[in-house]
Amino acid sequence: MINLTIDGQQIEVPEGTTVLNAARKAGIHIPTLCDHPHLKPYGGCRLCMVEIEGFRTLQASCTIPATNNMVVRTTSEQIHKARKFILTLIFSERNHFCPYCQVSGSDCELQNAAYGEGMTHWPLQPNWQPYPMDASHPYFILEHNRCILCRRCIRACSELVGANTLGVEERGAKTFVIADLNVPLGESSCVSCGMCVQVCPTGALIDRRSAYRGQNTTVDHHQTLCVGCSVGCGVDILTRDQQLIRIDGDWDAPINQGVTCKVGRFYPAFDDRERLKAPLLRKNGSLQPVSWEEALAAAAEKIKTAAGDGIAAIVSTRLPLESLVLFRQLFADRLGSEMVTSTEEGSRTAILSRWAEKLGKAFESKIDQIHEADAFFVMGADLINEHEVLGFFIRRRFPEGIKLILVDEDQNRLGDLAHCALIPQKKTGAALLKGLIAAVAKLGQNRVAFNGQPDEEVQKASEACGVASDLLLEAAFQLTNNEKSIIIYDPAVTDDEVMDLIIKLSQTSGAAMISIKGGANALGAAQLGLDKSLKLNGHRLAYIALGDEEPKERLIQQIEKCSNIIVQASYHSRLTAMADVVFPVVNWLEQDGHFINLDGRLQIAARVLKPAESIWTNEAVLSALADKLGTALESEWEKVISQRPSPVSIAA
Amino acid sequence: MSKPKVASDWMAGCAGCHMSLLDMDERIVKIVELVDLRSTPITDLKHPDETGVDVGILEGGINNTSNEEVAKMMRKRCKILVALGDCAVFGGVPAMRNFFTIEETLRRAYVETESTDAEGKIPDDPELARPTRVRAVHEVVPVDIFVPGCPPDADTIFYVLSELAQGRRPDLKDDKLHWH
Repeated sequence: MINLTIDGQQIEVPEGTTVLNAARKAGIHIPTLCDHPHLKPYGGCRLCMVEIEGFRTLQASCTIPATNNMVVRTTSEQIHKARKFILTLIFSERNHFCPYCQVSGSDCELQNAAYGEGMTHWPLQPNWQPYPMDASHPYFILEHNRCILCRRCIRACSELVGANTLGVEERGAKTFVIADLNVPLGESSCVSCGMCVQVCPTGALIDRRSAYRGQNTTVDHHQTLCVGCSVGCGVDILTRDQQLIRIDGDWDAPINQGVTCKVGRFYPAFDDRERLKAPLLRKNGSLQPVSWEEALAAAAEKIKTAAGDGIAAIVSTRLPLESLVLFRQLFADRLGSEMVTSTEEGSRTAILSRWAEKLGKAFESKIDQIHEADAFFVMGADLINEHEVLGFFIRRRFPEGIKLILVDEDQNRLGDLAHCALIPQKKTGAALLKGLIAAVAKLGQNRVAFNGQPDEEVQKASEACGVASDLLLEAAFQLTNNEKSIIIYDPAVTDDEVMDLIIKLSQTSGAAMISIKGGANALGAAQLGLDKSLKLNGHRLAYIALGDEEPKERLIQQIEKCSNIIVQASYHSRLTAMADVVFPVVNWLEQDGHFINLDGRLQIAARVLKPAESIWTNEAVLSALADKLGTALESEWEKVISQRPSPVSIAA
Repeated sequence: MSKPKVASDWMAGCAGCHMSLLDMDERIVKIVELVDLRSTPITDLKHPDETGVDVGILEGGINNTSNEEVAKMMRKRCKILVALGDCAVFGGVPAMRNFFTIEETLRRAYVETESTDAEGKIPDDPELARPTRVRAVHEVVPVDIFVPGCPPDADTIFYVLSELAQGRRPDLKDDKLHWH
């Protein structure tokens, strides 16, 4: 531990702590601009200058490590003079028109710093050189006139996301934040995660939807869960007067620690699907708005007529466990339907549940392992286009020298970054895995006894899958040569043989396993047995609890065959247009409940917005229907989720 | 002791800061009790006394030769010069036109504007003031007290005037200090 004195206060901090963080720990405020608690110290703006005894000049507290017996002063005439001068130079460099900037008032860290130093004016006026504005991006605008070149956006783009899209060109006053080799943001390699917008200290990065609609002092913050995919990121949702203003990554969330992707940050605010506002009932061929009572009675009548095997019931994996359990109870237990499943039909989870049952135990690891792994074996999973945050977790670690082994039959943009990209011929994944297992044995790194001739097996596999044996050996070397390796795979591209081989590869190489699961509650649905493949034969009625999910083409085509369709959904869609009865229900922001993410973390999503009066929760609709059918439902999800073995241990 | 004399004027602004001054409601009576309000753009007397005033208040930036004269006259005739509002302090919204040349802005205003007919003509009477780059007041004459805000709110203006009237220098901070 290090002992130092800041402003007369004795402080003890661990070795390596910066003076700035030591001061923060002691509750002493030092103004900063380029520093961000979740980014590496940079020392660019010099606003955090302090006096340290024994030093000839002022020092930037964000980069200087605390040492024993250091005596630091954070306020003095000299320091305030220096800070004012730094701010004066920053304001004179570009064009800051506070009265109409969206962050002026409470959200601008530059303005707040100036107020903190009591600045009533700019001692040096800007020279009014206009700077361009890049409005080519669909979700945000880069306004260079307000940029202070703190490089937070650039550092977030590389340190948190690993996209490395943003950078600078030129030097000194000509320095400019650019995307790629200076192309418009909208045409760049930007992944639209918006982390740059989240960390920008000024109004230089403008979120198109939230700008001018509220500030930190006027909005409510809600820490909850993104339901975009099975990663289960924590998000901070800003609302004002029951309106969604903006979504940020929640810095305190254990899974994503502030990072989120476009699905979590921008999709909900840019969702312009038309909301369902009243129950609809098909009369004389067209859907008419009716009362809840009339809609429920009509639906109950249809359900009664079709009861038993005549009903196919499909529920969205974007709904919480509370809804899933009631749905299963009503249709499987009470009405005796055999075809009760989820919108994903267990396309990813069914095989995992089967293997968990077969092995009698959990065989997958937790997301934390990704942060510790040195080698990644990614099979089939397209982490550029879905479960993006997992992709960020890998990409941002390339500067540490991690190795990526990619196995994909199709084009995968992660391939550009891979240490070795193995592209097997179609449907030869099993052969490739056999070759890798043999290659591990050939290197003498196998933790499980290998029966057979490794040389021959590698050669045989290489011929079968079309991947050179050298590449197989290289991949096996990287997988076993590193301290910690992890296999990340997409169960949708596996079958029982491939699954068996992935587990064997994991066992012989010592690599951990983790798989993407799909929807936010895909694993929750799997635990409840809602993972059947949807097959309609002679079903007279389809009941779909769609929530706010956009119905997939495949689902619509299957449902079309049904003569009676009942849908509970948040938005108008092709599916609701086909329905005979439509119940308007809450969307993800208006519901609360539990979700199980891909690594078995049981998380709570909190209600953020109040639904309109005519809109019911999914649970309320199911309970009211049960009532009409003369039965009652009870929420018992805590008991049922652990009745079935799961591929990864489930815990809060 | 006689009441301190106060004069004000406006230049390249929107008059909003003077509106904000009036927004102090009945407290304006108190101000009048404390000071001798001389010339303002909204009263009959238009120029500060030749014999001088104690406090001169300027709203707006300086965007032509006429504004320059107004600022210089006020500076000459007052002891303490107050720059009132963002335009006077920073240049403000009118300074956005500094991104263009004066020729471009005049052409836009007098020829290209959608409401201008085919006969659009840039005024060139030698009697007229010549437009310049928009400057903050302190770029042309020294300023003693800066009161930013778009506009500064009535409470702030009341605080500044009452402090000055009582011979104190106002210290703008916390909720009295804002640039928007």
